[in-house]
Amino acid sequence: MSEIIVGIDLGTTNSEVAIVENGQILVITDNGRKILPSFVGIDDQGDILVGETARNQYLVYPERTVKSIKRLMGQDIKVDLAGHGYAPQEISAIILKRLKAIAEQYVKQPVTKAVITVPAYFSDAQRQATREAGEIAGLEVVRMINEPTAAALAYGGTQAEQKRMLVYDLGGGTFDVSVVNVEAGVVEVLSSHGDNHLGGDDFDQQIIEYILDHLNETKGVDARQHSKALARITRAAEHAKFVLSDQPFVQIDEEYLLEHEGAAVHLSLELSRIDYEDMIEDYISATIDAVHIALKGAKLTPVDIDEIVLVGGSTRTPCIRERLFDEFGFEPHSEVDPDLCVAMGAAAQAAMISGQKVDAVLIDVTPYTYGTSALGYLDDQYYPYKFVPIIHKNSALPIRKTEAFSTTHDGQEAVNITVYQGEDPDALNNIKIGEFLVEGLQDVEAGNIITITLALDLNGILQVSALEKATGLAKFITIQNALSRFEYEALDTARHRINKLFGQRDDGSVVHTEPPKTDNPEAVEAHKLIAKAEALFDKTSNEDKEDMIDLIEDIHTCIAEGYSDRLKEATAKLADIIYYLES
Amino acid sequence: MKTPYDILEVVEQATDAEIKQAYLQKVKQFPPDHYHEQFQQIHQAYETIKDLSSRTKYALFTVPEADFNTLLEHAFNFEQAVSISAEHFDKLLRAGINDKTFKIAASDMTKTL
Repeated sequence: MSEIIVGIDLGTTNSEVAIVENGQILVITDNGRKILPSFVGIDDQGDILVGETARNQYLVYPERTVKSIKRLMGQDIKVDLAGHGYAPQEISAIILKRLKAIAEQYVKQPVTKAVITVPAYFSDAQRQATREAGEIAGLEVVRMINEPTAAALAYGGTQAEQKRMLVYDLGGGTFDVSVVNVEAGVVEVLSSHGDNHLGGDDFDQQIIEYILDHLNETKGVDARQHSKALARITRAAEHAKFVLSDQPFVQIDEEYLLEHEGAAVHLSLELSRIDYEDMIEDYISATIDAVHIALKGAKLTPVDIDEIVLVGGSTRTPCIRERLFDEFGFEPHSEVDPDLCVAMGAAAQAAMISGQKVDAVLIDVTPYTYGTSALGYLDDQYYPYKFVPIIHKNSALPIRKTEAFSTTHDGQEAVNITVYQGEDPDALNNIKIGEFLVEGLQDVEAGNIITITLALDLNGILQVSALEKATGLAKFITIQNALSRFEYEALDTARHRINKLFGQRDDGSVVHTEPPKTDNPEAVEAHKLIAKAEALFDKTSNEDKEDMIDLIEDIHTCIAEGYSDRLKEATAKLADIIYYLES
Repeated sequence: MKTPYDILEVVEQATDAEIKQAYLQKVKQFPPDHYHEQFQQIHQAYETIKDLSSRTKYALFTVPEADFNTLLEHAFNFEQAVSISAEHFDKLLRAGINDKTFKIAASDMTKTL
């Protein structure tokens, strides 16, 4: 049996894992579900929750639950999860570990390699962080491919006739657009553009702000101060967004949202699709501008495009289809599930890397221009930080380019090389992504030639080297955003930490932990009941769910405080609801 | 030194469509995943000769021994050539010249650090 490489879509909101089996792409299900919500939480026992259960817990214990971690990838920050600080890589690793387990359960053998998708517009630092997350999870990331490219592969890999596709990928936290030419089994990205901080979460945020303003105006409360209320508002906003994809109006109701000056505050308000579309109009316009930039990058106009492919859950927003129709004059495609096609493309690429016969060949591009700075003229002024592009945006990967530079004064012993990402002629307006010093240059007059080589690999990761031409003195670095950089030791420590959370030894075997010791059999029963209740959340009406959440909160309080009678009462009520739901 | 035509194994008279097909075949033979160097060479070759404008630029400025008369003949022998006005052709040449002047300046004078 050949080595298995899985394809993983590690999304802001949802994640999936897929493989190619007997030539067919298969998204692996977990308990009948293909989608794993990208939520991570810690339950009362200190056990880790991933996916649906963590998402349900978010309502009750937002402080013990993390969502949308992808938005923080590549940043040097810690997120708080039940009182401990975790790097974004570690939280992502927890999701990856769960996906790995889902795949292993299906293929019945260990899975250690993966192709993981990233937004095309992910920066070098964000890509590095994703790779690190894989390592922490015990997955070798054999390739990172861009999400719109993966989708194009899922759509176009099997097409015989030539087609030019525009892939519009709006996910929970990121937006990408790519122009792709599909011909004779070659899927070639011609250009790519995007925004790595724009997505459905921003739409939710608009509705959240709207609700918060409403509460402030009508009830005089600032719900921002109440984390549980805010979690419920967040969930309600998300729900409203879904409803507005199909309906012209949505009614947002949350009873007993919070207590204010001794009185219960209920939320009840209506939102129309028209008002909602007004709220998100600027975001949609930004995506349409990006579409035009991508077309320009490919030297094409809308009439050259044969097909539009929609990817990402946020593309269900009706006004996006309308705006694209206005621009292109035809309806976008979404035959392949927009939530699954990225994982499917990743699986196809994984199969190709592992040597399985797959017809499609993929050619991708970099969405960024990389270069360095040098003395030069800017607006006819002598300027020390003139940007010198070396690798241009939309170059096919892999690519290696060299430029020659020379020293400015006699006996110059060292040169400082700064690498930037961006297009502005003033290097200081671009993003500085790395810096290094070449020392020990020979003692000669000005004009000593130093060549700088930038190489971008298939994963979009940059390597920089400098060479003193006369002596061959060389210096190499792989750009790793110094801020987000995880040293190897840190990676190892993280791996131990995460394994421990899963109750595993480092060899992957499960440690048999004693069930939590409690003298109170009622509490044990109550916990079982809560788990049962949370498992039913999906099939439950909002009203029942709220009742259940209130009861669960009450039960936790009772256990913590030792109120035995009230505990019995609450447990009985919860059992009743479960009985009623199950019958 | 192999010319882009050699790399893609096409004749100099090949049409855009023929060049593209040759490129796609080569890419399938040497996909970027397994053949980093070859792929870069193939892609670079394709970018250099994929259409009339790039071929003209290549012929004029990259191959020093290019015979200008052959080139002109080459340019006017295309079916598309009918639609190329003298003014258009002039523009095309100028575009090439301007690009190249920039390039020469860039590599000869070597920007100072």
